[in-house]
Amino acid sequence: MLVQRMEIDRADGRTPNQLRKLACSRNILNRAHGSASWSQGETKVLAAVYGPKAGTKKNENPEKACIEVIWKPKTGQIGKEEKEYEMVLKRTLQNMCLLTVHPNTTTSIIIQVVNDDGALLPCAINAACAALVDAGIPLKHLAVAICCCLAESGRVILDPNKTEEQRLKAFVYLVFPNSIQSVLPEGALQVGGEPYEHGIITSVTHGLMSVDEYFFCLERGRAASAKLSDFLRRSLQLQVPSESSKTG
Amino acid sequence: MANQTIKLGGGLRQDCDAISVMKAGMLRFSKPNKYWVESSQRRYVPCVGDTVLGIVVDSKADNFLVDIKGHALAFLPVLAFEGGTRRNIPKFEVGTLIYVRIVKANTGMNLELSCTDATGKAAEFGPLKDGYMFESSTGLSRMLLNSPTCPVLEALGKKLSFEIAVGLNGRVWVNAASPSTIILVANAIMNSESLSGVQQKIMVEKLLQRVQ
Repeated sequence: MLVQRMEIDRADGRTPNQLRKLACSRNILNRAHGSASWSQGETKVLAAVYGPKAGTKKNENPEKACIEVIWKPKTGQIGKEEKEYEMVLKRTLQNMCLLTVHPNTTTSIIIQVVNDDGALLPCAINAACAALVDAGIPLKHLAVAICCCLAESGRVILDPNKTEEQRLKAFVYLVFPNSIQSVLPEGALQVGGEPYEHGIITSVTHGLMSVDEYFFCLERGRAASAKLSDFLRRSLQLQVPSESSKTG
Repeated sequence: MANQTIKLGGGLRQDCDAISVMKAGMLRFSKPNKYWVESSQRRYVPCVGDTVLGIVVDSKADNFLVDIKGHALAFLPVLAFEGGTRRNIPKFEVGTLIYVRIVKANTGMNLELSCTDATGKAAEFGPLKDGYMFESSTGLSRMLLNSPTCPVLEALGKKLSFEIAVGLNGRVWVNAASPSTIILVANAIMNSESLSGVQQKIMVEKLLQRVQ
C-alpha cells in the first residue's frame, strides 16, 4: 500500500498552517489620538487614528459617523492599488465601528506601510483594529484578518510571504469578527445557529480558484483566526493600566 | 441579577437584552447599581457636570465656540457668567484658556457650557491667566483629581508652592511664581502617569534634588 504524503516545502520551514511571528504594540505615536503597529514576520504596518472630529464629507450620511482611510505606501506615489486598499479597509472598519454614537463626525485612519513581505492588507486591518481600540472609538467587536494562499496541488497555506504570494496561483484575504467572551449562555449569541465568530466581514480574492477551494480556504482561515483572536486579546489586555484607586 | 434596574455608564451599551462593551478598559462597579468601563484616552467624551479646560476658538453673537478635545466644538453662551448681562459681555480673544462646566451633552445636539456653578456663582470658573497648559490623557486627569490627594501632588506640594487647574478632558494648567517651578511641576505630572504611588514619590524627590 502506497501512502503518498504531499508536503509543501515552504522556504522558511513553516508548516502550511503555521502563522508567522506576531507582534503588536499600542500608543506609539505622540500626536495621534490612537496608534498601533502590527507585524507578521517581516511585514510591518503602522496605523494612526485621529478623531472623532466634527463634520462629515459631502456625500456621507450626517446621521452617522464617517470613517476616512488614507493609505501611505512605503515608496512611490499613490495609485489605484492604494485606493483599492483604502476602500476595502473603509468598508471593513465601517462594519466594525458603532457609527451612531457620534453622528456627524469623521474619524481618520492613516495606514503607513513600513515593510511589505506578503499579507499586507490583513496586517493593515489588524493594525487599524488595534489603533481604534487605542483611540477609544466605540466598536461592536474586534476583527482579525488572515491571508490564505492556494498552492498548485490544491493545498491551502496560511500567511504567505511575498515570494509565496507571487508564485502561487491564487490567494484570498479574509476578515472574521473576534471571538466573544461573555457570561451569557452559548445560545444567546448565535446568529442563525452558528457562533458569532463564524461570520465573515470581508473577503478579497486574487487569482482563479474553484468554489470548493474557496470554502476550504474559509475553513482553514476560520480555524487560524481563533489563534489570532487570542493574541489580539492578550496584547490589548497587557497595555490597559491597572488603577489602584477609584473615584465614586 | 434579574429584575434589577442597572445604570450603564460610559463604554457600555444595551443591545436588545444583552449588555455589550464598546471600549477597552477596566469594568467598574459602584453600589448600588452603576456599571461603567474606565479607560484612559487622548480624546474626551463629554458628560454633564464635568469641569473641563477649554480654548476659545471663535466668538459669535450669542455664544463663544470652545474646543474641549471632544468630537465637536462646544458653545459657551455669552450670558453664562455671574452677573452677566448684555452690557458686560466678557471679551475673550481667540486662544484664551477657560475653566468651564458642561451643562448639556446630548447626542446630536450642540454641547453647552457655563462659567457658573449650578447656583449661579462664579466659583473659580472663567479665564485662566498666565501659567502653562499641557495636554495629557483623561486617565491622568482622573488620577490627579482623586479624593485622597494623589502622591505626586502631595510630594510636590510639600516643597513647592504652585497652583493647578485640572480639566477632566485631559488638560492641566500650572501656575507658579517662577518659570522653573512651573516646568518642574509640569514634568513631574507628565511623568507620573504610569507610575505607582511609591514610584511617584521617588521620582519627585529625584527631580527636586536635581534642582536644589
